[in-house]
Amino acid sequence: MENTREQKIRKQIDAYVKGKLSEEGIQSLWNEFAKNPELLDLLEVEAGTKALLSESKVKKATVHPLSGWTWHIAAAAVVLIVAMVQLFRVNTPTDMDEFLVTNIEPGQIETADGIRADDLKISEADSLLNLGFKAVISGNGERALELFDIVINNYDEEPYGSKAFLNKGIVLYNEGKYPDSINSFRESANRAEHSRMISEKAYWYLGNALINVGELEVAREAVYEAYRLDGVFRTAAFRLLQKLNYDLGKYDYDNFDIQQLN
Amino acid sequence: MDYSKFVGAVLENDKDIIAKQVKVITAVLIKFLRVRLNVSQQDAEDCAQNTLLIAIEKIRGDKLENPDVIISYLFTTAKHEYFKGLAKDKESKFDELPDSHFQKPDQLHRLLNEEKMNILQRCIEALKPDFKNYIQYWFNNAANETSVIADHFGISVNNAWTKKHRVINLLKECYQKKIKL
Repeated sequence: MENTREQKIRKQIDAYVKGKLSEEGIQSLWNEFAKNPELLDLLEVEAGTKALLSESKVKKATVHPLSGWTWHIAAAAVVLIVAMVQLFRVNTPTDMDEFLVTNIEPGQIETADGIRADDLKISEADSLLNLGFKAVISGNGERALELFDIVINNYDEEPYGSKAFLNKGIVLYNEGKYPDSINSFRESANRAEHSRMISEKAYWYLGNALINVGELEVAREAVYEAYRLDGVFRTAAFRLLQKLNYDLGKYDYDNFDIQQLN
Repeated sequence: MDYSKFVGAVLENDKDIIAKQVKVITAVLIKFLRVRLNVSQQDAEDCAQNTLLIAIEKIRGDKLENPDVIISYLFTTAKHEYFKGLAKDKESKFDELPDSHFQKPDQLHRLLNEEKMNILQRCIEALKPDFKNYIQYWFNNAANETSVIADHFGISVNNAWTKKHRVINLLKECYQKKIKL
């Protein structure tokens, strides 16, 4: 396999494992696997490594075996502690802030697509998004907003619109301008039908911003959308939904997969 | 995998070559079904087998020749075979609610069973600390662009990719050595 082609496929495998590859890209990658089944070994290693490192299974703590009587004493101590905890238990409800994103990291900013099947050309809108990203990591939020606005006003097409609105929302959120960020995240979510990843981000941060302005009912709908999209924010969205349901007095929504939101 | 060779073997009824090629294609189809459609191992094996029987018949009828068309046909037929089985199954269990109403993401973890994961885990643990930290950071920051990772380690984006490929190659080499033992 020629070098550049191999590198391209390796980057596609990386994107696939990270959940960043489009449906079209995934199918095209499987066609490559059918032509070169040995590439599946690479996919196996990458997927396994990511799973192991995400679960932090690697480097387990050393275990020193204890003698039998030590276990009996330990069990008795646990029973005693549980009894004491029950006795002196004080109801301490968790704070909503514990479940919220306080600051959105720059890595969440959408830039030009690194990999999109065979199309590797960078458009002007892509460059503006990349410059916006650069401004964000340089701490120049004002410049970033200007650049994202240029994309919004001049490239009203997808995926640029949804990306620019999402990025604008992120900058505004980090500046504490939640009402403005809500408008941006909403716009992004409405436009991002083509991309599950952007859509998920938009709904997740929209939910967070809505909670920050006290709109819990509407936030619940947005967070549910993020949960339903079943991506990287699923676990966090699940926890936040449980907290929202608890605070809103909705106790019948433990199983979100089989129940409707309302 | 040379699909034109496969077509030739089917048309000439060269059983040895067909058997070898079928083994390779079956393995790909099983993984495809398990990862993309979350199919059980047993069902995936059945679907892959049916798919190849159908494809061989199609080739014998001179209706399939182009390698790209064959690949596309194999994947489509494998999916179709699975959904056909699913529909049959649902007919007999019509009173049950569907378990999902939206597309689940690809189940890549299904490529490796527990034994394989243990082997890979040992390989990761055997990496040099520098490589281990690097790959850990790479996957723990999966949402980030490569430029952010490159910036973190103070290297260029190209070097970031090269280093990542090097670590994966080392892991693949170790994994394949240990799995053969």
